[in-house]
Amino acid sequence: MSSAQIEIQLIASLVAIACAIPGTFLVLRKMAMISDAISHSILPGLVVGFFITENLNSPLLIVLAALTGVITVVLVEQIQKTGLVKEDTAIGLVFPALFSIGVILIAKNANDVHLDVDAVLLGELAFTPFDRLLISGVDIGPKSLWIIGFILLITVALLFAFFKELKLSTFDAGLAATLGFSPAVIHYGLMTVSSITTVGAFEAVGAILVVALMIAPAATAYLLTTDLKKMLLLSIIFGVFSAISGYWLAHWLDASIAGSITTMLGVLFFVVYLFAPSKGVIAVMYREKQQKIEVSLLTFLLHLKNHTEESERHVNHLNEHINWQKVRSKTVLELAQKNNMIAINNHIVSLTKKGDEFTTLAIDYIMTNEDAQIEDMKDDFFLFRG
Amino acid sequence: MLGSFAVLRKQSLLGDAISHAALPGIAIAFLITGAKDSNTLLIGALISGLLGTFWIRGIISKTHLKSDTALGLILSLFFGFGMLLLTFIQKQPNANQAGLDKYLFGQAATLVESDVWLMVIVTALCLFVLLLFWKEFKILLFDKDYAKTIGFNTKTIDILITSFIVLAIVLGLQTVGVVLMSAMLLAPAAAARQWTNSLSVMVLLAALFGAFSGVFGTAISATQNNLSTGPVIVIVASIFVIVSFIFSPNRGLLFRQIRFIKNRRDLELHKTLSFMFHIAKTHEDISHPHAIKILNNFQGFTKGTLKKLVDKNYVVLNGNMWSLTNLGFQTAANLYNQQSKNDE
Repeated sequence: MSSAQIEIQLIASLVAIACAIPGTFLVLRKMAMISDAISHSILPGLVVGFFITENLNSPLLIVLAALTGVITVVLVEQIQKTGLVKEDTAIGLVFPALFSIGVILIAKNANDVHLDVDAVLLGELAFTPFDRLLISGVDIGPKSLWIIGFILLITVALLFAFFKELKLSTFDAGLAATLGFSPAVIHYGLMTVSSITTVGAFEAVGAILVVALMIAPAATAYLLTTDLKKMLLLSIIFGVFSAISGYWLAHWLDASIAGSITTMLGVLFFVVYLFAPSKGVIAVMYREKQQKIEVSLLTFLLHLKNHTEESERHVNHLNEHINWQKVRSKTVLELAQKNNMIAINNHIVSLTKKGDEFTTLAIDYIMTNEDAQIEDMKDDFFLFRG
Repeated sequence: MLGSFAVLRKQSLLGDAISHAALPGIAIAFLITGAKDSNTLLIGALISGLLGTFWIRGIISKTHLKSDTALGLILSLFFGFGMLLLTFIQKQPNANQAGLDKYLFGQAATLVESDVWLMVIVTALCLFVLLLFWKEFKILLFDKDYAKTIGFNTKTIDILITSFIVLAIVLGLQTVGVVLMSAMLLAPAAAARQWTNSLSVMVLLAALFGAFSGVFGTAISATQNNLSTGPVIVIVASIFVIVSFIFSPNRGLLFRQIRFIKNRRDLELHKTLSFMFHIAKTHEDISHPHAIKILNNFQGFTKGTLKKLVDKNYVVLNGNMWSLTNLGFQTAANLYNQQSKNDE
């Protein structure tokens, strides 16, 4: 690995971490789309900043762009506050308008300079090592590395300083307000941080990747845990992992680094989406199936309890009467037998003592809906756990 | 037009997501066919757009992730994947590849006649289906549970609407590009929503606004150099939205402010009247004159309100003195009992 490769991976990882932290809170606060809006609407800020300074490397550019990001958030909120449209519509209205202004500004005035829309939107990680930061003639590393490192430092410092406040206001805004933290201050603080991160990061990796790096690791982590600290940690790990593996994918395919990092994020999310232990699609489907069987079992037991005459309790009759398919009746019968709730003699099904008690309890539970009575049954059945 | 449904269904950002999600479809279609035939590319875009939409649905319904997260996730992931493919294509030795990125920002000027015909056909199809299933769409939109109870297959209708939104978006991509497509979908509908409460009028208005911003935007961009069509159209559409927000008669900000001020005036009038009433009550003769000055320490009083009271025949002015009339006294006494009558 050459030093440029290491630098690229380092930058990508730092960006991933810097994005994952505000991203987690955005996902938890249901404001994920705001990051998309910010990443688009910083364009006019950049362009205006460029006109003022005539210099693409000026820090003023970042400040102005971050400011536009915050303006976007404020605009969205103002429009939403009028009650004329919903929040998502407000977002959808604001950022294309701002973005269009940016595109038109570029097209009209900056045609001959190095500031084209593709670069803004997509970024090119591969070139970042060539843009060195020179302090009094000494090469101290790529510029983006310093920018993103600085932003990351601020983000982490803010995170540690205000972790409690952020946590509280994210999960219980009302309580936070009662305790005297201003939700508005925290909200705008978070927005400012996201905005700055977006600006700082997108110079290196492009707007789309910023969005992906903010949302995808957080969403993936959210599927795996409900603990805020674990979620932060996991999303950072996911971010860094896809940054590095994405770099190698790009290296191998000879394609855009930003694109392949996003693809890695996508693959990661897809895998977790399918296989997450309690919230993945497969787990959910399994649980739904279990619940279905258990509801059937209950119906079946109730039927047995209500009918003492033998003709009603013949195996084949049950098959017809409750109108189940053969497979389903079989599963239910087996489950019931395994739990010693029924006994089958000569194709006549009857409740055992345990089954009888269980059914009574279950009816009680359904009637009264009190948890305490079935505490001991919870281990055997999914049905009573939710 | 279809945007109306998106706005009303609170799926406004779906358009944004779909337009981004269409990119890998375009790239894959190109990779497979190796030609830049717009029809195959559109089919690719359509498929990947639909795929994205249904995955979003899946995420929302199967996991506890919220819709905004799902949207942002799919949008960025698909787009990133599309970028990967695009850059991959650029490295391939194929002369046809140039111009694929036109899909990103759109260029109405690059449209050829066959594209336009395709659009006309699809628009006609959309209209036809919209008219055919008007009732079903409407009922699904406003009362999904009711639609289900009376036996409509909500899932099919849902899929139908979504497919048409995706189709419209994919077609529009060529004109305004990925980033701005969501505005095209949203802005006319959001503007139209301000003017009416009726679905049919709204759809009609949205189509009108959309067409107008298209025509104006194209015209403006044609008069100047270096002005790409897409952004200009979006700006025009945004202006429509702003104007609608401010000036629409029922929901607009301007009229709302006016109404607000008017209400406040009315209230102050009432306040003045009741203040007078309390003074007059202490005298045996209700029309006993009082100095205007004593009203001064009361904030609701202005010359304007006094004059209005005179106009309404509640108060008689006599030099520096005022006195309540009989009518004024009656009204003031019943002010809080029958306020509605006083608003006139």
